[in-house]
Amino acid sequence: MATATSSSPEVPATRRRGLDRLTIAILAFTVLGLLDAAYLTYVHYHGFSALLCSGAHNGHSSCETVQSSQWSRLVGVPVALLGLIGYVALLASLRVRGDVGRAIGFGIALMGFGFSLYLTYREAYSIHAYCEWCLGSAGCLTILTVLTAIRFLRGDPPAPAA
Amino acid sequence: MASRKEQKEQARAARLAAEQAAQARAARMRRMQLLGGVVVIAVAAIVVAIAISGGGSGGGAIKQNSPQSRALYSQINTLLTGIPESGTTLGNPKAPVTMTYFGDLECPICRDFTLNTLPQFIQNDVRTGKAKVVYRSMCTATCNDYSNGQSIFNNQQVAAYAAGRQNLFWYYAELFYHQQRAEGSGYVTSTFLNDLAGQIPALKQSTWQTDRKDPSLLSQVQGDEQAASTDNLQGTPTLILQGPKGQLTAPNSVVNPGGYSALASTLRQVS
Repeated sequence: MATATSSSPEVPATRRRGLDRLTIAILAFTVLGLLDAAYLTYVHYHGFSALLCSGAHNGHSSCETVQSSQWSRLVGVPVALLGLIGYVALLASLRVRGDVGRAIGFGIALMGFGFSLYLTYREAYSIHAYCEWCLGSAGCLTILTVLTAIRFLRGDPPAPAA
Repeated sequence: MASRKEQKEQARAARLAAEQAAQARAARMRRMQLLGGVVVIAVAAIVVAIAISGGGSGGGAIKQNSPQSRALYSQINTLLTGIPESGTTLGNPKAPVTMTYFGDLECPICRDFTLNTLPQFIQNDVRTGKAKVVYRSMCTATCNDYSNGQSIFNNQQVAAYAAGRQNLFWYYAELFYHQQRAEGSGYVTSTFLNDLAGQIPALKQSTWQTDRKDPSLLSQVQGDEQAASTDNLQGTPTLILQGPKGQLTAPNSVVNPGGYSALASTLRQVS
């Protein structure tokens, strides 16, 4: 136990179990991806012409082309909405302690990464158009897969020095 | 020489160290098993998602006389039956407003408009005689795609126009949009076009095949394209409404869900 003469104040136990840098990074990229997916879900239900997009494709924005393609839905559910649900689940997994929580987080990120890799392939070779928002989400999921893998392999974060 | 007590302490420490090492090994093993399980589940989920996504590389039109084909035809027939058709025109020829629809059968945004907004327009405004729709071709999706030296765009548009010779253009176009796949993916083959024709019971197949070779239909497609170019149209669908009060182009928002209100508003302005 730290005394009144210690050079640093005593850290409460709950605080020591608080967010380490890796978890903060995961949180940041998850929130970023969540906002991206939320925007894509919003425009899916309110009209693609609202999409802010720099690319052009056949008289429309390239994002509109991608979001109107047959790959933009999975059994009728917009993939943007599935992405949104995935990011929320990833966020929730951060609240689950121990190896199970870290494994769930990694599993969700890995699934998202794999499917976004496939969708990016379809953009390049089937649709011949790119959607910056989709690529942004794919980028977030790539980083999240790496970060959640490190978090899982590292185990419990080291307690900060008192 | 170590005392008996020290020997006991050393043995205890060694036992504890061995137990800790065994616990660490077991924990590592559990974690690796958990990791393996997670990876297997994630990969399986990805494979299933890819398999059920719209991304099958092959395929084409749905099978003729299948339950799916009959259900789709019935849906389209309910929408169009009883409405006069002539060539690419749908509706009463004397309707006060004409909506000219510049489209490309492979354009996914045209599909969204045709499947989401057009049915309401047909029901409320075409069926009631307020407006008629004239379809014209404008290449946006597959302008540079060729099969056996022939333009895929011209082939598909002419196939639909040939159905129009039997006043069934809109049946063909509706079937095309419902079964549309990724633009430029090469799915529009002769087989695909023939399959669509086969799904229209009233279409005389031999006549349709003969009409497809009529150069005047190709000229009609090329004439439409020329008109789109002259009017400097930027994309498909472009919807131009001409009525007693003048001419207006419908806003892009008509392709969105609930886009009918924007189209109805444009209709009111020119009526």
